[in-house]
Amino acid sequence: MFLIEVQNLEKVYNEGETETKALCGISFNVPEGEFVAVMGPSGSGKSTLLHILGFLDRQTKGSYLFDGKELSEYTDNEVAKVRNEKMGFVFQSFNLLARTSVLENVKLPLLYSTTPQSRWNSLAKKAIEQVGLSHRVEHLTSQLSGGEKQRVAIARALINEPKIIFADEPTGNLDSKSGSDVMEIIEKLNNQGHTIILITHETYTAQYAQRILTLRDGEIESDQRVEKRRKGKDDFLK
Amino acid sequence: MTFKNSLKTAIKGLRANKSRSALTILGIVIGITSIILIMSLGKGAQELILNQVRGLGAATIIIEPGRESQGPSDFGSLFTDSLKDREVQALSKPSNVSGIEDLTPMVVLSTTVAFENEVDSFMILGASPLVAEIVDVYPEFGQFFTDEQVQQLSAVAIIGSKVKEKLFGPSEALNQNIKIKNKVFKVVGITPKKGQVGMLDVDNSIIVPYTTALKYLSGMNYYHQILVKAKSEQIVPQTVEDIKVTLRELHNITDPKKDDFQVATQEDIAKRVGAVTSVLTIFLSAIAAISLVVGGIGIMNIMLVSVTERTREIGLRKALGATTKNILTQFLLESIILTLLGGIAGIILGISDSFIASLVLTKALGSNWQFTISLQAILLGLGVSAFVGVVFGLYPAQQASKKSPIEALRYE
Repeated sequence: MFLIEVQNLEKVYNEGETETKALCGISFNVPEGEFVAVMGPSGSGKSTLLHILGFLDRQTKGSYLFDGKELSEYTDNEVAKVRNEKMGFVFQSFNLLARTSVLENVKLPLLYSTTPQSRWNSLAKKAIEQVGLSHRVEHLTSQLSGGEKQRVAIARALINEPKIIFADEPTGNLDSKSGSDVMEIIEKLNNQGHTIILITHETYTAQYAQRILTLRDGEIESDQRVEKRRKGKDDFLK
Repeated sequence: MTFKNSLKTAIKGLRANKSRSALTILGIVIGITSIILIMSLGKGAQELILNQVRGLGAATIIIEPGRESQGPSDFGSLFTDSLKDREVQALSKPSNVSGIEDLTPMVVLSTTVAFENEVDSFMILGASPLVAEIVDVYPEFGQFFTDEQVQQLSAVAIIGSKVKEKLFGPSEALNQNIKIKNKVFKVVGITPKKGQVGMLDVDNSIIVPYTTALKYLSGMNYYHQILVKAKSEQIVPQTVEDIKVTLRELHNITDPKKDDFQVATQEDIAKRVGAVTSVLTIFLSAIAAISLVVGGIGIMNIMLVSVTERTREIGLRKALGATTKNILTQFLLESIILTLLGGIAGIILGISDSFIASLVLTKALGSNWQFTISLQAILLGLGVSAFVGVVFGLYPAQQASKKSPIEALRYE
């Protein structure tokens, strides 16, 4: 059974009279626990695909089964619930709340969950520990470096123990050292069983994945296994 | 998401922009302050006037010439000479009006009064000794003039405490002669400090026999008022009816709408005063409410700015699982908290302003202005401010909740 089943997925943007086809009928499956990198030049439709896969947008045509249920059958409130409980998001620009502590930022998804409030702090601290920021719990996010910010965002993404984590260019705003730190954490999460969908345009980063999906003009150009996966503490820095 | 957490989130959102939040609620603060102040002053004024009106006693009936004006071009109300000796005599007969214990015609005029070189203008009341009982004012020095002196058109005067002060200063006034409109009167009594009674400023008045006032001072043959004291409070309504019937018969009036006189009881006057001050209070409050509308628009404006500024935050919250309702609640709560804070500040300011005003007014008017704040006014203030928050917060909150998460996240 696949976690993600996509069949002839199409997305058309209508802006006034002009129609833009962002996705032209793509199909692929992702089994649970897989680490997939989606690559492609800008305008290839990789962001659109991520938005639909992440329940942030809906398709125009075709079918998308997440966890065995078709996206178009979910109501708006169910979509919010799935995003909250089964999905985690990591963005290129971190999207942390300003003037707010690391702990509060990581707790944010719990606010919209059914998790009892008594467990919030311990859950958040555990997630922060996983990304190695235990010494920064009470710091404001503005006092952190870019790499640390992205790690806070990862801690926030995994606090509800999601089935899948969507990472949209997570290393795009980071230097290579911080970038590899972040990728190592993502790899670790994959090893713990989280399915990962990673969007990137760096072949380097994509090679952390088990499989690379390359898009071009809204179609799948190639779908390949990664022969030599990049592992943590590799020759990245050399 | 629990309500408590929605509330916490909203408060955090407001705290992020403390000074802006504070400035935003100023309009609401001013609006609620004005409403509380106006309601309190209106109530205070009403009570002050009612106390003075009731000062004449519940068994007092006032008859005045003329009739209630039917419109701007109605001259009926100008017929002011319908109360003469004939009417007084008819009313005095127990066979006509059985409920009257006593009555006094009243001549009211303002004229110059002189003692030696001191000249000033005072209110002159022509009346019978009954007026002392009705107004409850008895001479502190000397004595009130008698009914006999009224019959004899005696030139005697009872002067108020301020009249004494102004004309005589510290020197003896009793048995001195004063000149009222060139007629010499002997001062036979001085009343103590009394303040306002009904519409009368006793301290600044001179009371003389009505017969004398009519003949030497007003030069007319009609009275300005007839004050009637009913035998008891209970028979006031019946007595009013009897008076009307008697006067109508005397004047050959068949249609009560054409009455050339008016009969008012203390209760009537109290009701009329109450109606006037209520209307005035409502009217002024409505004007104050305009500032609430302006304040509300200010809140809406700032909330819209805030929604635009926080587009990314909204997108993020949605991506992390917030529903449309969660976002709507958060922003609506922010505006309600803003307006409620404004309302509470306004209530506190309004109450303290009213208290200060009551102290100042007590000093200025020389009479006891009561400080009154009704629970009703406080609840109204809170209710109105919360309502303003809902009304003017709804649109920005809807705008926030409608944002699509991807567009919100893309927003720079």
